[in-house]
Amino acid sequence: MTKHSSVSLKPAQPVSWQRWVWVALAVVLLCYLPIVLTDRAIFGVRLSNMQLLNIGMSQVNLMLIAMLGALSLNYLTGCAGLISIGHAAFYATGAMTAAITGTQWGWPFPLVLAAAGLAGALVGTLAGLPSLRVRGLYFVLSTLAVHYVVVYVFLEYQFKFFDVVGVPYNAASIGPIALNTPIRWYFFLLPLVALVYWGLSNTLKSREGRVMMAMRDHELATTSVGVDVRILRLKAFAFSSSIAAMAGALYAYFMSNATSEAFGINFAIQFIAMIIIGGMGSLGGALVGAALWLLLPSIISGFATQAGDATGIVRLLLVEHKAQLVQMIFGVLIIVLLIFAPGGIAGIGHKLRHRWSAGKDAS
Amino acid sequence: MKTFSRNPGASVLHSLLSHARLAAIAGVGLTAASGMAQEVPEDGVYKDRIDWGILMDLSGPTSASQAPWVKGFQDYMRKINEAGGINGRKVNVLAEDNRFNAATDKIAYEKLVSQTPVIAISGMGSSASQVALAPTIKAGKVPIVGTYTPTKALSEPVSPMVYNGFCGYKQMAQAGIGFYVDQLKLKAPKVMTVAIETAGGKEYHDFVAEAVAKYGGTATSVTMKVTAVDVTPQVQEIMAQKPDFITIYGVNNTAVLTMKALAQFGVKMPAFGITYLGSPAVYQALGAQGSADYNFISCFTPGGSDQSTGNREMSAAADKFGRVGLKEDINYVSGWVTGQMAAESLAKLGNSPTRAKLVESMAKGFTVDSKGLAAPFSYTPDNHNGPTVLKMFGYDHATSKFKHFGDYSDYAKYTK
Amino acid sequence: MLAQVLFSGLALGSIYGLVALGFAVVFKATEVFNFAQGMFVVCGAYLAITGISLLNLPFPLAMLSMVLAAALLGVLIHMFLIQPVAGQPMLVVIMLTIALSIVLRAAIEIIFGSQGRTLNTPLPSGVFKIGELRISQLHLTAALVSWGCMAAFGAFFRFTSVGLLMRATADSHEAAVVSGVNVNMMNRLAWAIGVVLAAVGGLFLGQLQIASTELETIGLLALPAVVIGGMQSIPGAIVGGLLVGVIEQLAASYISPKSSDIVIYALLLLILMVRPWGLFGQRELGRV
Repeated sequence: MTKHSSVSLKPAQPVSWQRWVWVALAVVLLCYLPIVLTDRAIFGVRLSNMQLLNIGMSQVNLMLIAMLGALSLNYLTGCAGLISIGHAAFYATGAMTAAITGTQWGWPFPLVLAAAGLAGALVGTLAGLPSLRVRGLYFVLSTLAVHYVVVYVFLEYQFKFFDVVGVPYNAASIGPIALNTPIRWYFFLLPLVALVYWGLSNTLKSREGRVMMAMRDHELATTSVGVDVRILRLKAFAFSSSIAAMAGALYAYFMSNATSEAFGINFAIQFIAMIIIGGMGSLGGALVGAALWLLLPSIISGFATQAGDATGIVRLLLVEHKAQLVQMIFGVLIIVLLIFAPGGIAGIGHKLRHRWSAGKDAS
Repeated sequence: MKTFSRNPGASVLHSLLSHARLAAIAGVGLTAASGMAQEVPEDGVYKDRIDWGILMDLSGPTSASQAPWVKGFQDYMRKINEAGGINGRKVNVLAEDNRFNAATDKIAYEKLVSQTPVIAISGMGSSASQVALAPTIKAGKVPIVGTYTPTKALSEPVSPMVYNGFCGYKQMAQAGIGFYVDQLKLKAPKVMTVAIETAGGKEYHDFVAEAVAKYGGTATSVTMKVTAVDVTPQVQEIMAQKPDFITIYGVNNTAVLTMKALAQFGVKMPAFGITYLGSPAVYQALGAQGSADYNFISCFTPGGSDQSTGNREMSAAADKFGRVGLKEDINYVSGWVTGQMAAESLAKLGNSPTRAKLVESMAKGFTVDSKGLAAPFSYTPDNHNGPTVLKMFGYDHATSKFKHFGDYSDYAKYTK
Repeated sequence: MLAQVLFSGLALGSIYGLVALGFAVVFKATEVFNFAQGMFVVCGAYLAITGISLLNLPFPLAMLSMVLAAALLGVLIHMFLIQPVAGQPMLVVIMLTIALSIVLRAAIEIIFGSQGRTLNTPLPSGVFKIGELRISQLHLTAALVSWGCMAAFGAFFRFTSVGLLMRATADSHEAAVVSGVNVNMMNRLAWAIGVVLAAVGGLFLGQLQIASTELETIGLLALPAVVIGGMQSIPGAIVGGLLVGVIEQLAASYISPKSSDIVIYALLLLILMVRPWGLFGQRELGRV
């Protein structure tokens, strides 16, 4: 596990106004982005699909939902040191709660999200119970087993109350505002992601957050100073799972349909891939990892379509086996990162920043 | 820039200037890039070409039958393009991968509707994505011309936005059950359906049960995953129940695994698969012994198996384009016929086609005559079912040719 | 029928036991929990297809080349992927094996196409009928060969000097290094064995069903098998495999085909809560 995280323990500095300019610029860009992607034009000038990197609003919205999953998993694994392959199970929990409270009982959307979060916390606590008994590898296996159990429950639920077709979801709406266009989803999800990021970041800076990171780094030492690591672990699990469950409910509403196949083991593994690519322990890295994972396939796919009538091995790779090529690129990327840069992109960013500031100080 | 500088005003100006410089560079860059932008008409209709979309599983477990369909469609369009196109425009086929995964479907559909807009979409190979996208499709502007798998969610009630392009499960069940009951001279037939666990599988079994009930028989089913690689439990169930014959619904592997496992246990069981399972790949995998008891019910005729006009034209084009072995795949034939349907609908629109005009023209009703590749089928305002007449086919390993049992007209009585 | 189900369960369980044995050997030697074992099974099936259908080698030669290629794959993987991350935390190693399985899967689908291929071997494919019971000769052959392999490797570990050296190295790396044993060589041998055993399993599974990348999910059943049996125990892996095979078939026949996965993983969870070191394993002591 990397020893540094993005949470700075330096004394607080006065926030210079230049920082505010950058923040304002970022906000303006983020607000204009969906308009560019929907109109496929910038300042009125039409852009081709490839200039927009073959990205549309659906990928961006799915990316935002995935960011919630990546942030929550990074909190659990990178910061609290609990490795879990069961993240898909919490998504499924959220989706199932959303189906029960939303589709079957007709609750309004915000209440459904709250219920999903609660259910996630409950299931998360239960899933964390094996950690009282086993550690390390055995615990990872217990999360794997929990995954299969929860997904099976979802499967049975789906078949009992609905159909093999999948579980349908109502249209999402917050009070009078219906979330029926991609732009509305975007402006609902973006502040949500920012809120979750800010909340997790603050939690990590708090006393309890730092105790958790101490527990990750050296459990025995932490116990010896009088911290009950067992309760702390369960809390971390509950917190992380409730966010993941809410993300699951959002996912279900966004897709308007969910089947148990959507929450397979590959779904869980993709979150681990995201946080490894981004850098474990780094919340910002989780965002980057999620963005890469969701957007890169479309970009590669877009370039592949440009190949058009190419022949030979190019055709084989780019046209007939586009999906496998994307998978292979990701797999190789992860392997290379794990061997040469286990800190992920955040780790690389850190090193570069140190070298940059070291160079500046020297000159 | 970490501490206050001696002259705050100067530093403000300094950083303003540097920010402005950055913005200017960005602006220039954007304008330069936009200089290369092209006009992208919303309907996918350009001066010299029309974009037509396909949503099918190009990779993954279901691609074995769906990839040939895409090639059939593309080849028909290529034939049309080589002859000059439609009203002066070439048809450009944009195929997106469904990937049997809900999120990718949604992304692909949105891409064809707004990112690289098309005038219409054909295919839709995944029944799960049909169900998820059905409300959006029916409320949207892009018609689905020729589906590959029919699902109730999309086809009922009849919508001017959706036209089925493949034989329906109901007709497959009726014709197949009827043929076998007559062939084996059964009184109260006992039938088992071997199906994959999808929406389509369940629908098919319901139709089978309906058809069997008409003959006073009973129908049961066993299911398996699409990605199943071990069918021992299902085959043991078949051995326990001892049906008169079975019918298989699924992907190529479903049929191959079931028949192979039955052979391993030494069970001789007459079986027929749905149309998708009648490709040469399945028969090659089964081998001479395994193919003896296995037939399939289809509304399309494999290429090269008879000398009708449509068949000869298609075979000639397939040979010309270098599609070795594909023309005998009924999935390829289906794609070809759907291509014909798409091209003919476009041709009726004249020189300035739009999505709305296409929908309007098709809603009035039309007939597709593939000159022997399938029985002619019509769409009316109340009926968008597509091909409804099927017959049973088999394969003769000795001659490496498909054989058929009777004519399409012999089967009309089953699908009244 | 119960006897029918039990028999196919035992036959399949023997294959799982073989794959689980390969897994246990790798774990004992290098302490790597190899999530790619499922893909090694698939690799075995496709190596067999290459030898038999693509290169048209006679069957014995095809089998030999499959075994050699699998061994080479194991050695290469250890050299280039496992050795560089030795000593890294567990998540890194686990994720590495998962990423390896992703890359292998993509590579196989690109080379061979994504639909399954049938394996045509001269293995017996008939059936013995004993009353109502139908015993597939292929199942029988698979079981016998698996048992033969397991016995052979058991003998190898117990009676040959190389085998003894491997066991000693697995017990204590430091002692081995001090005694002048080339630990890397031992580890490479362990990986080679692990992949070869998985490949043989893949050959049989491919012949019983179809050679396709979906075989990975069956291969992954080796994981709960090893844990239930006891991760550091060789006989435990074998018993675990048999148990998983029988339970899977019983659940699929008597409950429903969907339930076989869940029954096994629920059992896994139970074992982890009650007796984490497995049926045959030994309680591990933690060191501060």
